[in-house]
Amino acid sequence: MICCKECIDLLYSYLEGELDGKVAGSLEEHFQDCPPCIAFLNTYKTTTRLCRETLNQEKIPDIVQVKLKEFIDTNIKKHK
Amino acid sequence: MSAETKELEEKLVKELQAGKIEAFDEIVNLFQRKIYSLSFNLTRNQMDAQDVTQEVLLTIFKKVDTFQWKSAFSSWVYRITINASYMKLRGRKKDQYVSMDDALPVFNGSGYQKEKIQDWSEQTDSPLFVNETKEIIEKAVEQLPEKEKVVFLLRDVDGLSTERVGEILELSVPAVKSRLHRARLFLRKKLSIYFDEYHSRQEQKK
Repeated sequence: MICCKECIDLLYSYLEGELDGKVAGSLEEHFQDCPPCIAFLNTYKTTTRLCRETLNQEKIPDIVQVKLKEFIDTNIKKHK
Repeated sequence: MSAETKELEEKLVKELQAGKIEAFDEIVNLFQRKIYSLSFNLTRNQMDAQDVTQEVLLTIFKKVDTFQWKSAFSSWVYRITINASYMKLRGRKKDQYVSMDDALPVFNGSGYQKEKIQDWSEQTDSPLFVNETKEIIEKAVEQLPEKEKVVFLLRDVDGLSTERVGEILELSVPAVKSRLHRARLFLRKKLSIYFDEYHSRQEQKK
């Protein structure tokens, strides 16, 4: 059976579906007997999701949007 | 990137190269949020992100003629955004050196996990966490070393493919994957510390 270290080294490829069936199988076998690795897997996945949800919300604030428009009008449109 | 976006991007860039200025407005609409948010996530400063966005838009306008289609246009845009953001960071004092290794999992001699691993994955929707979690995540991302941070922002936050991230950063796909995995391990650890602390605070209150 593979150990926790191997399991965590393979986690990325496992979640991307890049492991071949046999390796993925031995990983799943390890998960069945290892609650810490299950917890690790779950929190690893949640970390990725939480970070994406938190950070991809970044919008251009209205004040910056106004400045950007001004900048484009004065520095770029004059080339027209 | 979807095929339609790619097609639209190419059409607009060719129009701008041919001197059709109106295409520039559409290019701005297509890219300004991406430029701003990547730069903001790299610099964590609204003024810097605004400067970078202006600079990048101006570069697109002035240098579009020299763009040669050796990579996707958006890869070029991401690259100049990253470089301009790094220029902003250059003059800044580094807060503290954070070792990546401290955040990596610890194993015993036979390769089994040494730490106690709490599974907090089901608790993150609690309204108690929402505000605090945002702050914790921002702080944790800020502590990521630059190499890992930029890969993480492009791949996990912006949702680009590993191949495209490799193209933008001139890295091999395995190098992108390895940096991304390290970034995720680091962030997972930071979030775990936060949730552990939260639980011990709750315990003390009881």
